[in-house]
Amino acid sequence: MTRWWNQLLSRVYGWVPALSERAGRRLRRVDQVPLPRLAPLATPLSASRVGIVTAGGVHLAADPPFDMQDPEGDGSFRVIPGDVAVDTLRITHDYYDHRAADEDVNCVFPIERLRELVAGGDVGAVAPRHVGLMGHLSGRQIERLLGRGTDAITKLFATDGVDLVLTVPG
Amino acid sequence: MLEGTPAPRNVFVPFRLGQVLGEPGHVAQQQAVLRAALGAVTGVADSGGLLELPFRWKRGPYPVPIGIAERPSASIDAQRDLDGVGR
Repeated sequence: MTRWWNQLLSRVYGWVPALSERAGRRLRRVDQVPLPRLAPLATPLSASRVGIVTAGGVHLAADPPFDMQDPEGDGSFRVIPGDVAVDTLRITHDYYDHRAADEDVNCVFPIERLRELVAGGDVGAVAPRHVGLMGHLSGRQIERLLGRGTDAITKLFATDGVDLVLTVPG
Repeated sequence: MLEGTPAPRNVFVPFRLGQVLGEPGHVAQQQAVLRAALGAVTGVADSGGLLELPFRWKRGPYPVPIGIAERPSASIDAQRDLDGVGR
């Protein structure tokens, strides 16, 4: 399918939520990923360093956009600095209507809201690095993300001493 | 999708695709949702568990946001929410 068709479909899903719910129910469950045992938060939220993973296709404008030509999506990821200026971010994702997030990226990547919660004392610190990826993956691109991608993302957050990661869909 | 591919801890808000933290520019709403989502880390007992957060689209009330002033249109919405207008 062409990009314009995917973009049109994403808007139709926004207009008629029942259609997106139906499509969601038909998606294949990723059974090969066992759920981990819950790790208790070692420090209170007010002292925790928090990172964000957004599946909304957010990336630095200076970085390569996600590949919209492969019908299986793009299983790569982009690193976003914690002190990023939001006007240097872009969204490349044809499978959801991101006009609202184009206007305010916090809709899918709440980095400014996280900074404010740190300033207000609710959260300890903003992680120095965050991750942007795109949802709507299938086939080989899921394998790509679940293989080296998730290992690299996990190591990135572990290296940075992140206590808690918030994952946000598009 | 959330039920099919859950994270270790999950929260749900009945918001539109692409606006899961709230409306663009609605700082109070976005802060409230983010605060509640992060606070749910202690509220999910089992891996893959799901909490439905008590938010409704464009309905409040939301507390006065921390830090920065909102854009005019969002401020109006937030004030309406605080005043209970339109419920």
